[in-house]
Amino acid sequence: MANISFRHVEKTYDNGVTVVPDLNLEIEDKEFIVLVGPSGCGKSTTLRMIAGLEDVTGGELYIGDRLVNNVPPKDRDIAMVFQSYALYPHMTVYKNMAFALELRKVPKDEIDKKVREAARILELEPYLDRKPKALSGGQRQRVALGRAMVRDPKVFLLDEPLSNLDAKLRTEMRSQISQLHKRLQTTFVYVTHDQTEAMTMGDRIVVMKDGIIQQVDTPQNLYNSPCNMFVAGFIGSPQMNFVTVKVEKAADGYDLVYGKCHIPVKNEALAPYVGKEVVMGIRPEDIYVEEEGDVAVLDAKVTLAEMMGSEIYLYFTYEGQNLIARIPSDVNVQADDTIRLTVDEEKVHVFDKETEKIICQ
Amino acid sequence: MKKRTSITDKIWIVILTILALLYVYPIVMILFNSLKVERAISTATAFELPTAESFAGLANYVDAVLSKGFLQSLGFSLFITLTSVVAILICCSMCAWFITRVKNKFTLALYYLFVFSMVVPFQMVMFTLAQTADSLKLNTPWDIWVIYLGFGAGLAVFMFAGFMKSIPLEIEEASMIDGCNPLQTFFLIVLPILKPTMVSVGILEAMWVWNDYLLPTLVLDIKKYKTIPMLIQYFRGSYGRVEMGPMMASIMLTVIPIIIVYLAGQKHIIKGVAAGAVKG
Repeated sequence: MANISFRHVEKTYDNGVTVVPDLNLEIEDKEFIVLVGPSGCGKSTTLRMIAGLEDVTGGELYIGDRLVNNVPPKDRDIAMVFQSYALYPHMTVYKNMAFALELRKVPKDEIDKKVREAARILELEPYLDRKPKALSGGQRQRVALGRAMVRDPKVFLLDEPLSNLDAKLRTEMRSQISQLHKRLQTTFVYVTHDQTEAMTMGDRIVVMKDGIIQQVDTPQNLYNSPCNMFVAGFIGSPQMNFVTVKVEKAADGYDLVYGKCHIPVKNEALAPYVGKEVVMGIRPEDIYVEEEGDVAVLDAKVTLAEMMGSEIYLYFTYEGQNLIARIPSDVNVQADDTIRLTVDEEKVHVFDKETEKIICQ
Repeated sequence: MKKRTSITDKIWIVILTILALLYVYPIVMILFNSLKVERAISTATAFELPTAESFAGLANYVDAVLSKGFLQSLGFSLFITLTSVVAILICCSMCAWFITRVKNKFTLALYYLFVFSMVVPFQMVMFTLAQTADSLKLNTPWDIWVIYLGFGAGLAVFMFAGFMKSIPLEIEEASMIDGCNPLQTFFLIVLPILKPTMVSVGILEAMWVWNDYLLPTLVLDIKKYKTIPMLIQYFRGSYGRVEMGPMMASIMLTVIPIIIVYLAGQKHIIKGVAAGAVKG
């Protein structure tokens, strides 16, 4: 069992700065969990607390059934892959991978078997005698993964392992890591600031801000049902549009009034907000080119049309606010054009303007 | 523009060549004179090359080695140099590791103390040092390395700390996760990475300890123990008589080992000094 349990975990540095104030999180056994958030949100600190590289200054941290607050890193049965690979530069690839096992006095033939098996899986066999400086970035990253693999750890910790790779290699390695997780059937904790990595790899995603967990959910639920404006804005690319609208009572529900555009929403959660301003969130793909019979129509002034191949990112302004839409690439539109767009009223998210929490979606 | 640069380069080459010759000249002079018979080494003929008449072969070298306990002094010098350099390398690299990785006011103060010790001239402390060495019984070739450790620590810690800052902390963290205790991390991971700086510091300290005249003269019991630089003085006999041939030969014999050590580690010394300087 390698579930990880944070119970009111706190991290305060010697200088009095609290990075993680009160963390409560249950990571299931064999789960691939991704910690995501902007720089300085405490995600790496959280990972380093699991590794034992940072002291836990309050609360309890369990790996399996064992309280590990005061257990040194080497006794936690974890393996970690660092952003900078952290390979030992004076050792060959083979030695790098065998090092942890040698320290544990594992018999030599067993070490050899494990290292060669990991090298085979990661396609590192031709490079076993090379030093890290003679390898490319992707190969180095695979060695770092191999070094972690050979130990059969209870928990795999990965701290932004792909951020030093180029875009193409990153995509390749992303799928390799996902496959590795399926093959090893171990708990993976992965830290990244890249929401694409988080969405594509994680069984569940933990979105963090200022050391506080904003939401923990599956990628699909995070995307479709964000709990607040931060999560809604952080997950998704291009990010969700936020516009201030007014709530009005309509014949069969409520209208979100945005300039001349009235967006009908049938949700009683809006009742206390009638006559007040709220924030409407709408994803770029939920804004379409107007078709007959559409209700929530707006005349958009195009500022930029970015051709992405299969679609166009359309930057436009309406009522003085900047928005983005993703429209099919066969629509002929250019900067300074005016185009009639429509908002999918079924996909609208409404947030409280003060608390930024979700009201309805 | 390009042409002007190349002219500047040429001027520099000429200047540096002249400087190099000036540096090498005394050694060449000593080499030539060490091969001459005693009477041919006088003020008037010192600059002449050995001739068929004045050429002494290796007689001066044999004289130097066989007389005045040269081999014993060589043994003392070797022992003192070896023990001092090993002590400096091990203790100072560990100290620099501590200073670099544990960041607080104490380690900062410690670091500046080491740097400051480089600025204090030896002459300022030499008499009190001799007294202290006597009272602590550090006045034998077997113990003098403790004093060398103290005097060599400033430069060594400064250079090690400069290089260590460039070693990513993640490497040490990875080793801790892999199962190393702090000592294993130091000896299995940090020390091998430090190799270029180790060689540079080792050569610099070895050159200093090997050639040092003042400290052993002040500290050691001269009647019992002489290092090679001290021994060379004893080719000056009474009434101003100097055995020039053996003296020149013994100087050559003293210089050769350290030149060999330097040439062997030359590649590393440049790498190590540059790494420390740039990253530190």
